[in-house]
Amino acid sequence: MPYADPYLLPLAALLTAIGVTTIYRLEPDDAFRQSLWVVIGVAFFAVALVVYRHDYRRVERYKYLFGLGSLVLLALPALPGIGQTINGARLWVKVGPLQFQPGELAKILLIVFLAGYLRDKREVLAQGRLKDFGPLLLIWGAAMLVLFQTNDLGSALLQFGIFLAMVYVATGRASFVAAGLALFLLGAAAVYQVVDHVQQRVTIWLQPWTEEPVLCAQTGEQALRQDCGSFQLVKSLYSIGNGGFGGTGLGQGTFTTTTGDPIIPYLNTDFIYSAIAQELGLVGAAALLLVYMLFVARGMRVAIRADDGFSKLLAAGLTFGFALQTFIIVGGVLRVIPLTGITLPFVSYGGSSVVANFVLLAGLLLVSNRANAQHTLR
Amino acid sequence: MNGIEVDEALLILKIAFIVLLYLFIWRIVRSASRDFRTGGGGAQESMIIAPGRSGESQAASVGPAPQTRGRTRARLVVLESPALARGEEIPVDAAPVSIGRGGQNDIPLDGDEFSSARHARFETRRDGLWVEDTGSTNGTFVNGARVTTPRRLGRGDVVRVGQTDFRVDL
Repeated sequence: MPYADPYLLPLAALLTAIGVTTIYRLEPDDAFRQSLWVVIGVAFFAVALVVYRHDYRRVERYKYLFGLGSLVLLALPALPGIGQTINGARLWVKVGPLQFQPGELAKILLIVFLAGYLRDKREVLAQGRLKDFGPLLLIWGAAMLVLFQTNDLGSALLQFGIFLAMVYVATGRASFVAAGLALFLLGAAAVYQVVDHVQQRVTIWLQPWTEEPVLCAQTGEQALRQDCGSFQLVKSLYSIGNGGFGGTGLGQGTFTTTTGDPIIPYLNTDFIYSAIAQELGLVGAAALLLVYMLFVARGMRVAIRADDGFSKLLAAGLTFGFALQTFIIVGGVLRVIPLTGITLPFVSYGGSSVVANFVLLAGLLLVSNRANAQHTLR
Repeated sequence: MNGIEVDEALLILKIAFIVLLYLFIWRIVRSASRDFRTGGGGAQESMIIAPGRSGESQAASVGPAPQTRGRTRARLVVLESPALARGEEIPVDAAPVSIGRGGQNDIPLDGDEFSSARHARFETRRDGLWVEDTGSTNGTFVNGARVTTPRRLGRGDVVRVGQTDFRVDL
């Protein structure tokens, strides 16, 4: 990969290193498993680079297979027998001792499908006739259905954002994005009325603290909301506040009570950002976000430089997905948007997430290698 | 006593870590922005796929003619010339534009004694504006460097043909 973007890999390596370090500080056992997953992820990364070193664009021929594959992966956790429900969201698959979240890989397959499909149909789509959107809306609608079935709101939001961004890149029509957002708001309002789970999330987001005891949905008793539904979010906000400007220093943060119980549940997956913000402070957390911004900027540059439509769409989709995922989880932890559980790319503990992100990185490097080679050799 | 020393050491390590982190970011920003300035070139490069680009045309027959909306047209602005008025803007479309002394050229340079009869050719390809020397005596120069093989032009490049200087506007 002599022409591949020289910055993406070091940035990803830094993020991975920060992640493993933080996980080690929180749960040494998890850090060992995370390192194993990083090795597996790097193996996937290397295989992808070797297999597609000549021309990754042949995957475009199998775009419908990718679309179907992403649906199958998304639907896997809903199957009885292998599906696992953890924390009210049914997005785990357990086969023997192996446990993984297929949604992460489904995201990448969906991006490949969308890139291939939109490149094919973008001229027709740009005319805005509804029937041309048929197959697209079908697959996308199915994906949404599966996501709502499994209560995985973060992923639903992510896939929808990726879908809109890629349609925009393909057609250049902002009106499609506006229409999509309007549809999303309508859908979100409808879902809010119907689904209890979503109402809770929004209430927790808007009013995490109460002064009077309210009904606690988990226990069915009266309790202050900060001791009940918004417990996790509130403790995470305290954790970030405790970090202050400079942070407590690595290893000096407070994450357990005096009896040794963890204060914040799921600290090293969904809430790892609040752990980093406490130990490295505002300065360190801002540095982390800067690294993400640089990664996204480089990814967008790959999309800009790519010559053919498929590569452009692929790079733009992968980068936008990466950016949106970071925004959804960091925004959720910081109470900018309602919290939905999703991993922080490269940093959070989680095997499927690490592997998926390394595959994503391989995709970006392949596109950038081809684009830069064409620019240089001409 | 010992505790204070440990605290100080930790504080120093913490600051060092943060400083290193920012140093890394700073180096990447500096190096990457240099890359943006030199290698970037070409305002036609965009996130959005330009409608109706060649090589992706099979869908073009389905709808109306491909739109050119949003695609900026390349122009050559005369900076200095014994033959053309300074500030004159010459648009370059998809068809190649030839330049040289004599009326058979799209851009005739009558009065520029250093230009050849068939001097150079500008051409818009799908990735931008290109210039090619078509066997001139005195050469075609981009930003002072002689053009030997076809070369892609970036915004603001200065092309010299004979004694005529053009600035590339994309």
